[in-house]
This record gives sequence, C-alpha cells and structure tokens, in this order.
Amino acid sequence: MGRIVLRRLLASAAIVFAVASFTFVLIHLAPGDAYTVAAQSARYPGVIAQLRAEAGLDRPIAEQYVRYMGKVARGDFGKSFSQGRAVHDVLADAIPNTLVLMGAALACSFLAGIALGIVQARAQGSPIDRGLGTLSLLFYSMPDFWLAILLLLVFGVWVNVLPTGGVHAEPYRYADLSAGGKLADRLQHLVLPVAALTLLTAAAIARYQRSAMLDVSGEDYVRTARAKGLGERGVVMRHVLRNALLPVITLVGLGFPALLGGAVLVEKVFSWPGMGSLTVDAVLSRDFPLVTAAVVIGSAMVCAGSLLADLLYAVADPRMRRG
Amino acid sequence: MRIRGLVLSLVPALLACSSDAERTLGDSTGAAGTPGGTVVITVGAIPKSIFPPLVSSIGENQIADIIYDRLAEPAGSLNTVGMDGFEPELAAGWEWGPDSLSIVFRIDPRARWHDGVAVTARDVKFTYELYVDSATNSADAPLLANIDSVSVRDSLTAVFWYKRRYPEQFFDAAYQMRIMPQHALASVRRSALDTSSATRRPIGSGRFRFANWSPGSLELVADTANFLGRPKLDRLVWVLSPDYDASLVKLIADDADFLEFIRPDKLSQLARNPQLRVLTYPSLNLGFIQFNLHDGATQRDHPILGNVAMRRALSMAIDRARIVRTVFDTLGRVAIGPTVRALGSADSTIALPPFDPGAARRILDSLGWTDPDGDTLRTRGGKPLRFTLIVPSSSGVRKTAAEAAQQMLKDVGVDMRIEMLEINAWLARSQGRTFDATFNSTILDPSPSSIRQAWGSESGLMAGGRNHSGYQSRAFDAYVDSAIASMDAAKGKAYYRRAYETIVADAPAIWLYELVNVAGVDKALRTTGLRADAWWARIADWSWEEAAAERTNQNGGTPRTASR
Repeated sequence: MGRIVLRRLLASAAIVFAVASFTFVLIHLAPGDAYTVAAQSARYPGVIAQLRAEAGLDRPIAEQYVRYMGKVARGDFGKSFSQGRAVHDVLADAIPNTLVLMGAALACSFLAGIALGIVQARAQGSPIDRGLGTLSLLFYSMPDFWLAILLLLVFGVWVNVLPTGGVHAEPYRYADLSAGGKLADRLQHLVLPVAALTLLTAAAIARYQRSAMLDVSGEDYVRTARAKGLGERGVVMRHVLRNALLPVITLVGLGFPALLGGAVLVEKVFSWPGMGSLTVDAVLSRDFPLVTAAVVIGSAMVCAGSLLADLLYAVADPRMRRG
Repeated sequence: MRIRGLVLSLVPALLACSSDAERTLGDSTGAAGTPGGTVVITVGAIPKSIFPPLVSSIGENQIADIIYDRLAEPAGSLNTVGMDGFEPELAAGWEWGPDSLSIVFRIDPRARWHDGVAVTARDVKFTYELYVDSATNSADAPLLANIDSVSVRDSLTAVFWYKRRYPEQFFDAAYQMRIMPQHALASVRRSALDTSSATRRPIGSGRFRFANWSPGSLELVADTANFLGRPKLDRLVWVLSPDYDASLVKLIADDADFLEFIRPDKLSQLARNPQLRVLTYPSLNLGFIQFNLHDGATQRDHPILGNVAMRRALSMAIDRARIVRTVFDTLGRVAIGPTVRALGSADSTIALPPFDPGAARRILDSLGWTDPDGDTLRTRGGKPLRFTLIVPSSSGVRKTAAEAAQQMLKDVGVDMRIEMLEINAWLARSQGRTFDATFNSTILDPSPSSIRQAWGSESGLMAGGRNHSGYQSRAFDAYVDSAIASMDAAKGKAYYRRAYETIVADAPAIWLYELVNVAGVDKALRTTGLRADAWWARIADWSWEEAAAERTNQNGGTPRTASR
C-alpha cells in the first residue's frame, strides 16, 4: 500500500509540473498581456514598454519559462501583476475563504445527496421517489448563477432575512460583535452560497446514490442478509449502503479539487472573495504568475483527490486493500 | 414598456441637467444634512493598490484621491489652462515667478498628516522625486516631464521650476500628484513601495483616513481633526460585488447606499424601490467606431477605409441620434466629435457629417462602388464593399450599437461584419492595428491636450501609440500644438476648435455617443459635487438627511445613517 501511495505521489508531481508548464505556455499564447488594458489608456506608451521590460515580458518565452519554473521550484510563485503583491499573499487571502465555502458546500451536498438517494431508492417508484427525482432534476438543470441570484432576491431582498453577500458584515460592524456574534454573522453569510452550491450538487449525488442503491439491492448477498433475518435498517446500512457508496466515493475525489478551486459564478454573485473568481480575474488580466499558481494548486488537489478516492475505496472495499 | 415609462419620467430631470449645469455639479440635492453616519458603496472590484503613483483604475483613483490631498483641486469646470477655477487644498496660496518658469506654493500651516505630523514643503519635493524616479515605475511620471525640479524655500514654501512655459504648468503641479508623507515613506525602498506596509496602510492628509482593507471591503473613517474641516460622514465603506446584478441587489436590499453606474436596462428595478433615487452626472466617456486608415499587412492605405470620401460616406450613412436613442434612450448624448461636452475645450457647434443616406449613396457611386446586380451589396472591380468591425464581447452596449450601425450601412449597400472578441483579444488587435474598424469607448483625460496622444501623427506612427487608426494630419498636429502652447485660454480654445474641425472633416472615426452617468443612491443621502472625472470629489460634504435617522437597517445590523 505504502509503495502504491509513493508511486502515486511521484506521478502526481510529474502531472503538476506538466500542467504548470502547459498553463504557462497557454496563457502566454493568448492575445494580450498583463499591461494590455493599461496600454489602452496610457498617455505614454514608453512607460508601458518599460513596465513590460521590468516584468520580463519582453524576453523570449523560453527564457521566461525557465526563470519562472526555477522560482516555482524554490516555492516562489513571484509577484502578481494585477494585485501588486506576492502571489502567496494573494492566495493566503483567498484560500481560507474558499476552504470554508467549498468545505461546507461539499459536506452539505454529500450528506443531502446521499440521504436523498437512500430515501428515493427505498421508496422506488412511489410518489416520494418521483417527486424527489423531479425536484433534484429541476435543481440539477438550473444554471448556477441563476439559482444564486434567485436565492439572493428571495432571501436577501423579498424575505430579507439573510445578508446579500460577503464573508462577514462590514469590518466596522463585525469588529463590534462578540465572539459568538462573529460566528453567527459568518454562518449567516455562509447560508446562501452554501445553499446554492448544495442544491446544485446534491441533485447529481442523489441520482448516483439512488442508482447505486438499486443496483446493490438486487445482489445475492443482500437477499442472503434478509434471509438470515436481519432487519431492514441493518440490511440497508450494513450491506446496501456500504457497497453503494463506491461510485459516490469517486465523486468525492472529483469534488475534492473544488475545495481550493472555488465556484466562480456563485462566488461572484455572493461577493465571496475566493479562489474561483480570483483565478478567472487573473486569467482575464493575463496575470500569469497568479494563474499558474492557482492551476498548480488545482492540479495538486486533483491528484490528491484521486489518491483520496483510492484510499477511501480501500476503506470501503476490502478487496481493494488486498490489491 | 416599464423601462421606457421610467426613462420618460426621467426626462425632465435629465433635461434640467443642461450643458452648463453638467460642467459644474451633477446633483442639486445639496449636502446640508445631519453629520455622522456611514455610506456603503458597492463596487465591482476592491482596489489592488492605493499608492498614488501606481493607481490606475477608477476605483483605485477614488480611494487615493480621498486619502491624500493635492496642492489644489480643479473645480467643476475642469479647466486645465492657467489656474482659474482651482481651489486650495494642501496649498493655501500660490504665486507665479517673475519669468513664469516657476510657481511658488505656500503650504497651509494647519495641514497635518493623519498621524499628526505637520505637512511641509519637504513632503512636496519628496513626492515629486518619488513620482519621477524610474524605480517607482509610475505611469504618471511622463506627465511631470516639463517640471525641472522642486525646491524647498522654507518649511511651508515649495517652488516648482519648469523647463519651459506652457498653459498647463499649474495643472501639472497641482493636479498630477497627490502629496505623500516623507517621514512615512522615505525609508522604504522605491521598488518595494507598492507592497510595503507603509503604502498598504497609508497615511494621508485627506478628510478621510485609512481604516481597513481586505479582499472583500475597504474602509475609511473621518479625520475628525482635519484642517479642511471634519467630513460630514463618519465612515466610507467600499464593498465588493463582482457581479453587477448582485451589486444592484445590495443597493435594493439596503446593504449599500451608492452604486456608481446604473445600466439603462436596470432603471426600472430602481424605480420600484421608493428608498432609492437615480442621480445623473456628466461623463468623460466617449464611444466611437474607429477606422484603420492603413492596411495592417502592407502599411499602405487601407483599400477601403484609407479613402477620406469613403469614410465620410460611411459616417453619413449612420443615424447617430437613432443609435443613441435605441441604446441609451435619454441616458446618452450624440457625440460632438473627438471630445465631450464636459471638457473646457469642447465646442458643440462643430458640424459633424450629417445623416444623409442619399448623399452617402452618391459618394459611394462616385467612388466606383456600385450595385449593378441589385443585390444591395456594392462592388468595385468584382470586390464587395465589405469590412469587419471588432467589438469587445464584454460590452453589451457596443454590441447593440454595432448591430444598429450594421443595418444602417447595409441600407446603403455596405457589408460591415461584426466580430465579437474577448476583451484582451480585442485590445491586442486594436493596439496591434490588425483590424478594419474597431468599436472604441474611452474615458477622456481631463486635459484636452491628451488628444495629441489619441489622434496625433506621432502617436499614429509609434508602436503602442493610442492612435490606433494611424491618422496623420499636419494641420491637425499644428492646431493641437498651438492650442497646447497657447497661454491665452480663448486662443487655445479657438485652436482646439480648428483641430476638431480638421479631424472631423477627415473622419478617421464615427463619433457616436457620450454617456450620461447614472448612479443609484439611497434617497436619504445628500450628495454634492459629482464631477465628470471624479464623482467622489466632494464626498466629504455628503451627508444623511435627518429623516433617515428614523429608518433602520432592515438586515438587523448596526444602523448606518446619521443618528444611529
């Protein structure tokens, strides 16, 4: 097992390096650079040329690549062109916000999705199954920004019980709150974006879970368990659910990168300063140090997610542990 | 229908905002409200830098403008020639040297930095040297190129020495720099200034001081002991709302009090909310279709658009008034040429090519572009009269206007194809001059002399120059040079007029519209002094109406308005 993990880690390092290189080249091939927008309004083009030279953007792409990857190898992602700060400082601001949002959203999505899937599978063909299926399909087919705006309008404006955006209240109000008040304020601000992401994602998970539950329910060992006189709850929880979780574990692995990748549109609608909108803004402003750093983190998370899924498989399925 | 109804109801208010009124104040509510309270401004992006030599976006400029002071501030007229209309800020007074090659600024002895240290002439000298130091990398450094040096006569007297006489001497010294504290910044390495804590937690001298800056918000608080007087508000907060609709929701939900720009199609939403009002103020934003006069590949004249008669015919085929009505209704105005009404040099009497499709057809016929087979597309020598207009996909307004222009050109037998491009791709094509026509929209510099960079021959020849058309005219250059060099404001304006007439006759662009800025504001907020180049110029004089004190924030947080 240890050897497999080590091999996977080495492969992951190679994947991250390849993705970083590909991203670097791709963003340099895209039209414009970090100073294209500034050049449009600059009265003196010489200044822009000077800024490009200072940033090394006038050098051949191969030279830029070698310099940049050398710095990345030393753990230095450089300075963000668009933010005027060290990339690690910019990321340090965004990553905690994204972890909180996506962590809560993923947890809620999987809990709700799995629970819905179980309920639907147990009530297969009933009005409850059909109703929940229709409802989850409805949310699944909704555009994320539209659902987010809808929640914002309903709960932020019409019913007016939840804040319309941000991680917490304005600093001058937030600073006056007690520790409990601060926690409550943060949770209040978390409700709508997490609800939007959960409604969108839980629907898909529920459908996977329902389908897996129904597949497993027909297996011989389930029939055997019932024949042994095991109660229905025990059959479902110990025999059906455990085996039906395997495909959902794959989804956990796929969802893991989102923990740091963020959700662009939901972040934008709820003014959540996370990695998703940061990365998109960095791409639009051709801020290659920031884009590359975000992509490196994203690809590392994909590799970690894939490894995590394999490890969870091993926990859920003893056959995997035996290789 | 709702939008139209609302827009019609706005007409009287907009008409009241006459040309003269626009040059001074965009709002007439005055500001004699109750002292205190907080104003929350919702913005699409929180500033990345507020260090004055490095700020570039409008959002960054507004924060820097509020935290720091200039030596003097232009009044609403935006006059940049001489010193008429400037109001004292850090400088209590000024006088010209006998040979007009120096200006003496006397610092207001009451002026203090936010940490209590006195503002001195040494800060002025330090600021100038900071801006022009290449290690600082300020894009504004060339704006100070005509200043030779700044010297300190005594602790409260700074002297600007110039390399030559020119009309904007005072403007350059008073307006182009925000004065910064030597004692806080002198020890920081110039190349590291933008990331240092000294500029991330800035000390200024403005009527609001820095309080807090996070990725989601930025907060300034009143400098209660400020020498120019305590601001009427206690606090200003900028909150992030990257999505425009979410910004609007914040305003409607009373989570924000001010949104700088309301899109025409969103006015109806605002009208349904009695606690909000729209506020119009003048704009420096000019939209125009710019022709490439040269063929990108060969650098010879463009086969179609290199011909001045052709460009005039295309201009005459476009009903600019209809496009403005279609796209903006009353929230835009037909452009008056390469400038906007809010600038001191503007002249709205210059005749642009009139809308006359019949005359346009006759010109095209005379140029040999005819329609022998009656398929409505003109040809010459077997080649169709066809060119491509590139438009940034991020601009719905420009897309709609381009489609309207496309239909009008089709009516005279011209096939203008529209190519929507991602903003960076559009900028790269425009700056690289690899286009036939580009739909440009630009916020003009308050100084009319910037037209030299926009349309001057030198800029048209220079790689990276802003004259993307490659327009070159010795007559235009000469008139602009004379205007810029003229020490007499009236003569300068007359030269500008002749420059505008020259370029309008050459038609390197179809100048379509200038915007009327529309902000969304809490009805109880009394605003004043929304200048075309800076709506925030007099924000220290904004205040809440007394009645607003009765209203509570519906979201249950700490109340924002005056007595709360």
